[in-house]
Amino acid sequence: MFLAFAGPNLVLIALFTYRPLLTNVYYSTLDWNLGSRTATPVGFGNYLRWFRDPTSLDVLRVTAVFTVATVGATLLLGLLLATALNRRIRGRTAARAVVFAPYVLSGVGVGLVWLFIFDPTYGALSALLRLWGTTGPDWYLDRSWALVMVIVVYVWKNLGYAAVVYLAALQSVPQDVLDAAALDGAGALRRFTRITVPLLSPTTFFLMVTTMLSSLQSFDLIQVMTKGGPLDGTTTLMYQVYVEAFVNGRAGYSAAVATILFVVLLLATLLQMRFLERKVHYA
Amino acid sequence: MNPGLSRFLPSRSGDIPGGLQVPDRAFDRRTFLALAGAGAGALTLAACAGPSTAVGGSTPSATSTTDWAGVKPAKQVSFWSNHPGGSQAVEKALVEKFNASQSAITVTLVTAGASYEEVAQRFQTALTGGGLPGLVMFSDVWWFRYYLNQSIIPLTSLLKAVKVDTADFRPSFYSDYRYAGEQWAVPYARSTPLFYYNKKHWATAGLPDRAPKTWNEFAEWAPKLMGAGLGTQKAFQYPAVAGYAGWTFQNNAWGWGGAYSHDWDLTIDAQPVVSALDWIRKGVQEDKWAGVTANDQAADIASGAVSATVSSTGSLVGILKSATFDVGVGFLPGGPAATEPVCPSGGAGIGIPKAITPEEQLAAATFLKFLTLPENTVAFSAATGYIPTRTSADTSALTAKAPQISTAIDQIAVVRTQDRARVFLPGGDKAIADGFGRVVTQNDDPQTVLTAVKAQLQDIYARDVKPKLV
Repeated sequence: MFLAFAGPNLVLIALFTYRPLLTNVYYSTLDWNLGSRTATPVGFGNYLRWFRDPTSLDVLRVTAVFTVATVGATLLLGLLLATALNRRIRGRTAARAVVFAPYVLSGVGVGLVWLFIFDPTYGALSALLRLWGTTGPDWYLDRSWALVMVIVVYVWKNLGYAAVVYLAALQSVPQDVLDAAALDGAGALRRFTRITVPLLSPTTFFLMVTTMLSSLQSFDLIQVMTKGGPLDGTTTLMYQVYVEAFVNGRAGYSAAVATILFVVLLLATLLQMRFLERKVHYA
Repeated sequence: MNPGLSRFLPSRSGDIPGGLQVPDRAFDRRTFLALAGAGAGALTLAACAGPSTAVGGSTPSATSTTDWAGVKPAKQVSFWSNHPGGSQAVEKALVEKFNASQSAITVTLVTAGASYEEVAQRFQTALTGGGLPGLVMFSDVWWFRYYLNQSIIPLTSLLKAVKVDTADFRPSFYSDYRYAGEQWAVPYARSTPLFYYNKKHWATAGLPDRAPKTWNEFAEWAPKLMGAGLGTQKAFQYPAVAGYAGWTFQNNAWGWGGAYSHDWDLTIDAQPVVSALDWIRKGVQEDKWAGVTANDQAADIASGAVSATVSSTGSLVGILKSATFDVGVGFLPGGPAATEPVCPSGGAGIGIPKAITPEEQLAAATFLKFLTLPENTVAFSAATGYIPTRTSADTSALTAKAPQISTAIDQIAVVRTQDRARVFLPGGDKAIADGFGRVVTQNDDPQTVLTAVKAQLQDIYARDVKPKLV
């Protein structure tokens, strides 16, 4: 009975998830240039090369900064937005739609629009800053500011997702508990930090896992806005997979980086499951 | 409770009774292990597909042995382009003209990307996954890796079979695609960098109406442009690091008497190249009259944000259309060691994939012949600013309409074939451009950076090129 129901799904998952995964692991053991019909087996050579390459550390650093900043900002701002939208205010439905809209927009379109906003010569942001008698940083030439720029746009695009999930969770927080706390003299801030936030911990945990996975796999915004630059300042592990395969033509090496990214994703998820889930309050 | 997704929402009570229950023994450990084992075995076998790992056979074939006389051209063939220089309309018109001129072959124009790089990515993916075009466009930095990977065919015999007048191609452009005694592509959207300047700014600053002869001459002019109250950001704008900085920097390297490489001998860390890069660094970081564009230097000069720049001839028509002032163009300036030849060739050629049928290859070559007819290269140039690739092309109407194009055509006489370090090493262009960026935008030491770039290029050569050379 189980196989009758689950079999088709298992086959599809095996074909479209695990087969490419194993194929990728196999390719990672080859010295193979994309487009070439021949390849040379090199065992763990591609992995050794990556771990010995000094630029790998920089790629990991950029990946870590990008992931921590985007996950942290998305969750924090998403919770604040959801809290604001959970109040009985005029135009609440429209506001919810506006907040969620960027999430369903194409990443390429969003990147192009923000590319124009940040442009130092013609951009809206530069024009605004000039009105205040100042100039903005070199968003496209400075490694650090370019990373900040991509983080800001990523958070803007994905904020709506976290806000909507938090909003659903906020509406499930039992009102009687909050009322009892109010009767006991707890103020609004205290009720929020001591009752609402702990009760939202399952949602926070879910969002942390999903936004982290999404952030680590982010590609479109980086490709459109910075192409991993300047000077690899926005090259994450995901983007390195692309550069090695399609710019440098090293499909085998790229597959090794993709496998490393997979291991990073797996470890990060397992660590979250192992340590953070302990702090989650399932009512 | 079986939490599922509901575990992520707060709950005020226990499980809701009556939910679907999965019998505990329906999927026991043995069944799971058996399924997992069978699945893993099947997947391991599946994973063995892909490139062949057989020993040998990796060197490109030097000549074609196909007897084209016995081949009948395919009825359908596609042409992959990124429509460089805003050429979609003219390419569409040329394809329609070809289709109307005969009934044996129908060509389909495919937008295969927004840039040379995107076409290259799609082409490389198709080489592995299928769906290859008949004719494909590739830029100066891509064709050699296709040669190395045996992805394109040698064209000499095929061009002869369809009677292409190869002697009429501009020799400097045609010979760019010659290697190991064979022709691997023909020139199509060919360009060189050009010096663009704002004539209004020049006049206001009291400068003669011409491009500078040398970069040192421009260094004398730049303070006058900056001090003329023009409201510009910079007197000169360099191309984006992620764009074509590696292409145009060759002009400075050659002008200072250096080169990225001589054949396969890498010389990018030699003193002349270091001095050229340090001169650029000084203009940007110390004297502050030069900048590096965030996106597109052609848009910067067309908007009047800068007074001069170096950009492709393929940007010429776009700049002329956008600018609200008279645009001046001139040869690329020389350096203290050489004033010519210091202009690198560039742009794109067209070639034919190996992994398609001879019938499709012949049909593609027939269209290639039509596309590169003198009158069609002139039509393409008129719409874009790219240089007509045929010496017999009548460019009088072209230059009457946009006199600046004649400067681009005249500059061909002093064009120099690009250094292999940039165009033959996969990823070499990016490595060089990144080195340029480190020095120019971050003020790093040129010698240290170029020494590191040389090491990077040596690694690319040893890994990706040398083992595949004949």
